[in-house]
Amino acid sequence: MSTFAAKRLQKEMAKIHQGLAPGIFFVNSPNLQHWQMDIQVLDSNPLYAGKTFRLNFRFSNNYPIEAPEVTFIRAPDREIPMHPHIYSNGIICLDLLSSGNGWSPVQSVESVCMSIQSMLTGNTKNERPEGDEAFVLREGRSVRDIRFVYDDPTV
Amino acid sequence: MKVKIKKYTAVATWRWENSTSDDVCGICRVQFDGTCPNCRFPGDDCPLLNGKCGHSFHLHCVNDWIQTESSRGLCPMCRQKFEFDSGP
Repeated sequence: MSTFAAKRLQKEMAKIHQGLAPGIFFVNSPNLQHWQMDIQVLDSNPLYAGKTFRLNFRFSNNYPIEAPEVTFIRAPDREIPMHPHIYSNGIICLDLLSSGNGWSPVQSVESVCMSIQSMLTGNTKNERPEGDEAFVLREGRSVRDIRFVYDDPTV
Repeated sequence: MKVKIKKYTAVATWRWENSTSDDVCGICRVQFDGTCPNCRFPGDDCPLLNGKCGHSFHLHCVNDWIQTESSRGLCPMCRQKFEFDSGP
């Protein structure tokens, strides 16, 4: 891993140990390039109340110039949240996570978690994205190679 | 009484103009007075770049960003066009 990315991630890790925003928890990091975080939605949204979801972060050598790969993963007591922009394999369609769209190098693991938290908070639809089944079947390619079309500013 | 100074040690501190010692570069999260992660010596070898939008970064950090196509030349903080503020 590049010095730049490693130093930046160490800074973030140090800050995480001082505390995180409500509903965001550090789970573990087998190595510096790979972190897992848990998030909870704090309001009483019936879709997510009382549930915890796990996010998997992978960082490239170019982090934070390049966005991390962030997906939801299944684990005991951790499902993939229902959301019209979250595929059932955990892939999240969010402009913030896409280099060339919404990503900026001032974002961090914590700020990404907060954005995903609010993406869930604001959702009322108990549904998957259109074409979810076909999309999930084609799984196996890198998240980075997927070109999402950001056509819905309301979600 | 006359005092003759035989030897003294001078100490000075410095910081970049318009920054407080707590301010960090939003890209690398190191203090402005420190270096970007690729440099060893703070100061003129690793300067700050002040954008017209009012946001500052280590020159080397914001350069890495601006050089990528995906930055579209925008400030990482406010997403306005990042233009160098050469000062008054």
